[in-house]
Amino acid sequence: MEEMRQPIILGSVLVYLLVCILVGLWAMRRTKSAGDFFVAGRGLGPVIISMAVFSSTLSGFGFVGGPGLVYATGMTSIWMAVCSALGYATGFYLVSKRIRMVAEVRDTMSLPDVVFARYGSEAARLLTAGTILLGVLGYLATQILAMALVLQTLFAGTETFAHISLFACVIISTLVLVFYCVTGGIIASVYTDLVQGIVMIISGALVVYTAANVFDGGLAEVSTILLAQGGEDIMPFGTLGTMAALTWFFLFGLGLAGQPHLVTKMMMNRRISDNRIILPMTVLGYVVAAMLWLSVGIVMRALVLGDVGMPLASADQAAPAFLTSYAHPLLAGVVFAGLFAAIMSTADSFLNIGAAAIVHDIPKSLRGRSLGSELFWARVATVGLAAVAAAFALYSFYENGELVALLGAFGWGTFAAALVPVVMIGLNWKGATPRGAVAAISASLIINFTVELMQIKVPYGISAGFLAMLTSMILFIGISLMEREKKLPADIDRVMDL
Amino acid sequence: MKPIHFVFLWLLASAAITGYILMSDVPSGAAGMAHESIAELKVGGDGAARLATIGRAPFYFQISTIFLGVSLLYMGVSEHRRDRRFRVLMAGGTVFALFVWYKLYTGYEAYLATGETDLVFGFPVPTAWLLGGVWGSFFVFDLMFVVFFRDYFWPAEDEAAFEALVAELKTKPKAGDA
Repeated sequence: MEEMRQPIILGSVLVYLLVCILVGLWAMRRTKSAGDFFVAGRGLGPVIISMAVFSSTLSGFGFVGGPGLVYATGMTSIWMAVCSALGYATGFYLVSKRIRMVAEVRDTMSLPDVVFARYGSEAARLLTAGTILLGVLGYLATQILAMALVLQTLFAGTETFAHISLFACVIISTLVLVFYCVTGGIIASVYTDLVQGIVMIISGALVVYTAANVFDGGLAEVSTILLAQGGEDIMPFGTLGTMAALTWFFLFGLGLAGQPHLVTKMMMNRRISDNRIILPMTVLGYVVAAMLWLSVGIVMRALVLGDVGMPLASADQAAPAFLTSYAHPLLAGVVFAGLFAAIMSTADSFLNIGAAAIVHDIPKSLRGRSLGSELFWARVATVGLAAVAAAFALYSFYENGELVALLGAFGWGTFAAALVPVVMIGLNWKGATPRGAVAAISASLIINFTVELMQIKVPYGISAGFLAMLTSMILFIGISLMEREKKLPADIDRVMDL
Repeated sequence: MKPIHFVFLWLLASAAITGYILMSDVPSGAAGMAHESIAELKVGGDGAARLATIGRAPFYFQISTIFLGVSLLYMGVSEHRRDRRFRVLMAGGTVFALFVWYKLYTGYEAYLATGETDLVFGFPVPTAWLLGGVWGSFFVFDLMFVVFFRDYFWPAEDEAAFEALVAELKTKPKAGDA
């Protein structure tokens, strides 16, 4: 079996990629309008939505970057994952019902449409669309980079492609992604999310079992090794310390409801009452899949610090290296497919909302109507966006040496800081004003991009995204409280009463 | 005071604690140090020394975050649906989340003071509180959503009112361009 390891792994991944392409072709026949392309005609059932929401949350950031970050820094990044119960609670308490109602009464196709319906402000719509576009580039680059790194590890084990470059892997990854997104739009995206979600849950559960058995003493031996080497890494706040961990909890726990690729899916369900099933399925699916994040990271760290394994050239190689060295070939095959699943399920969502921003939202803000032949231009925009993100991924890797997880945290922070106040609070508080919304989005973008571009290190590892989100929330509520409450359109007013 | 005022209050509290931390002296290795021989690996160093200048500020910061989170969740239920039972449920969930946080943080402080900790489910005690407790304490709110969905989140009357609104809008020109 061991000599067949590489063919089995490559075969599993190829089968998975083939399934994605077939789903894309199938979905193409069901995609007849821009509404089908962007919001799947608001006709999806609870199982599809819950798998789509959780698999889009976890992404390459969680499946590749997460284990890498635990390997590099210990438990700090686990705060990004344990906050999921709070994150989904805020999403479903505050956003899921109202965004679905607004989507139906105003026939909206995107989050900026919802923001316009709520505030009646073209500036707020434009800024929301601009934020989505900027965040998508960062986040999509994360996914493409993660996918290329995994692909490169896979090819490295073959004779023919042992020396394939990261550039070539980025091209291959982008092409597959673009194919099924361009052909099938959001319908392909959510149905592949279903496959991807199932693969991720199975992968997560099996990897935990494998990781727990790498050492004879199980996870207790892992903890003992790490405690003997200083111990802070296996204690709850990890090596980056208390404030890094707690500000990530804030940013990821309260920021989930501002992630456009997630809340947009809350507009797509058939019935609002389905939310009662969607929430628990989403939370539990996420938890099982996210166990890979923790278990692989700490086992790889213990192997290296305990002088059992060789140090990794890059922390992002933690998950691929673990699978190649310690997992049974069949399991490695399934989990490698799971890694691709995690990455692609998020990337396709980003391509979709990014394309919507380009062909629908920004033109609507600037000239009062979206582009003609919206479906055609949505497909063109998807290709263009993927190309730019692929270039950004290569730049980030070669020029900045940025880790997948940190690039992802920047993307998450950009969305959370700009959109949480405007969407999560704004849909539940009639006193929120357009001026508050514009100030919140603008301030968050300025803070996030200033810190990122000038590479400012905030003391105690405090997350820049957290600082931007805290500032934008305070500005949003503060400015709105100082202003006179604006009369809402009758339909929105009635929706907010329910 | 309305829920939005509580949200604003907890945001200001978080900002004040963050400001205090940012203005304090930063000990060396406050956010970890590079491992002396292994590339890409960070170590934590002396955990107690890292907290020397900010004391228990992180403990209070997380309390503020818990109250902020619960205040936001409270806003998610329409005002006229927030009955006594709902308030008791939210208060109970908050107390549980605070209890878990207290156990986690004091367990960590005890480890910093003694250098010793027991293992539970393969992890040090404070870490076990993080993995099961912190997640579980907020999962309580997810369960509330499922169990009381028809009482607080989508009652039959609201569903009927929404259907009436949609039917009404279908017979009229749209209220505005989305």
